[in-house]
Amino acid sequence: MDTTMKKLPPKPIEWKKRILHWAIAIITVFLIIWSCTGIDFGGIKETAGQIAGAIFTGIFNPDWSYIYNGTGEDLVSQLWETVCIAFLGTFISAIISLPFAFWAAHTKHKKWYLSRLGKIVLAVIRSFPEIVLALMFIKAVGPGSAAGVLALGFHSVGMLAKLFSEAIENLDDGPNEAVTAAGGSKMNIIMFSILPNLMPALISNTLYRFDVSIRSASILGLVGAGGIGYPLIIALQYRQWNRVGIILLGIIVMVIVIDAISGWIRKKLV
Amino acid sequence: MADSAVKPIIELKNVNKIYGKDIVGLKDINLTINKGEFVVIVGLSGAGKSTLLRSINRLIDISAGDILIAGESITKAKGKELRMLRRNIGMIFQSFNLVKRSSVLRNVLTGRVAYYPTWKSTLNLFTKEDKQRAYDALQQVDLADKVYSRADELSGGQQQRVAIARVLTQNPDIILADEPTASLDPQTSRRVMQDLKMLNEKHGMTVIINLHSVQLAKEFGKRVIGVRAGEIIYDGKMSETPESTFNQIYSGGEKDE
Repeated sequence: MDTTMKKLPPKPIEWKKRILHWAIAIITVFLIIWSCTGIDFGGIKETAGQIAGAIFTGIFNPDWSYIYNGTGEDLVSQLWETVCIAFLGTFISAIISLPFAFWAAHTKHKKWYLSRLGKIVLAVIRSFPEIVLALMFIKAVGPGSAAGVLALGFHSVGMLAKLFSEAIENLDDGPNEAVTAAGGSKMNIIMFSILPNLMPALISNTLYRFDVSIRSASILGLVGAGGIGYPLIIALQYRQWNRVGIILLGIIVMVIVIDAISGWIRKKLV
Repeated sequence: MADSAVKPIIELKNVNKIYGKDIVGLKDINLTINKGEFVVIVGLSGAGKSTLLRSINRLIDISAGDILIAGESITKAKGKELRMLRRNIGMIFQSFNLVKRSSVLRNVLTGRVAYYPTWKSTLNLFTKEDKQRAYDALQQVDLADKVYSRADELSGGQQQRVAIARVLTQNPDIILADEPTASLDPQTSRRVMQDLKMLNEKHGMTVIINLHSVQLAKEFGKRVIGVRAGEIIYDGKMSETPESTFNQIYSGGEKDE
């Protein structure tokens, strides 16, 4: 046995890296302090404690009678409308996202600027918050769930198409090559090799987006685009804390249930 | 050339391939392969075997020269013309390249795509005869019972045989096989090589195989082409190839790169 092994040499000191790391740390701390000074913190209102207390009593004493009363204005109907808005919005956006995803995937073009352009377009779409879109669509189609569906459908394209395009970029090129070698056209490649291989990613990303859309749909009502948000803001304005309580509980239950279901389906897909 | 049996089906004329700026992939390749030949291309990995094979059906575009398939230039072909030339050239890959989530039948039918207008194949409107043809092909590789299985349920050797059924269904005149046995065990490799031999002998297809296993090359090859550093350094009948030639082909690998 050779016993003359060399000792592990000490790690070389890289001054450049060290200085860079320290600089980044100092700048980060500075940014945090600076952003704190920018906020106008007017102190807590005197009534804050009272209102917080009221909300808490409201949540613990929810207005059970609101759950279902058959008028279509009750909690269950409103939650159902919220789910429908999220579902339709996600479904529409998933379909619109597919062509965008192929546009933005860099593996599908020989010219790099085409996919870059697609990615920029998606970033622009993403940068409009759904609340802003909802306000715009309310002007176009009037208040109600239709505006909510359109707002969600449009906004989700930005994120879904980006996720889809990344999934396309990660696909193995081998099966595509096989279709090409058999004399297949680009459309043949998409239909025979890309889409079947992409299916799990498509479904799981769409389900994930549905989760997010449910949450978005519950606040769209605040601006009048349908769903549970509308009764929530009314109840808040009229200080019906019991009703606020039951609505919040309803949203929590809805989100948990949808999360569990979509999580279960996604697990099955792998 | 008067002999009708000796008809060139693939002709490479002064083919050069340069990757990037100055990495030589192929250097002045002149090669003629006749109809019905069974050719093995041997050489170290990185020698240019894959580049040579893939330039024949233009999965790789060459930098200079011309490649003729049955007298027609594939280098200049475009669009539909290129697809029709490719339809006549089947390909087998090292990693099988099946669509894993699709059924074996659909994978085999993929070989027929170029025989249909796109909208028909998209809607899965394959004719009864073609479905039967696919099933016949599966029977020839002994996988008839797997026809409705998902491709990823099959073992590696079975997947490669599905790929062979795919080219059989495509019914080309030429088969290119790029390291078809590299990810298989010796026994399965032999089985796959036998299937390729069957394509050559029974269906009269011209088969060109890249191999790095000298043993399989010796066992199955009829004509050997040795490639080193992007050049053809040997071309001859397997039966007349001395052992020293293989040493020559497989030497000097280290000093490349």
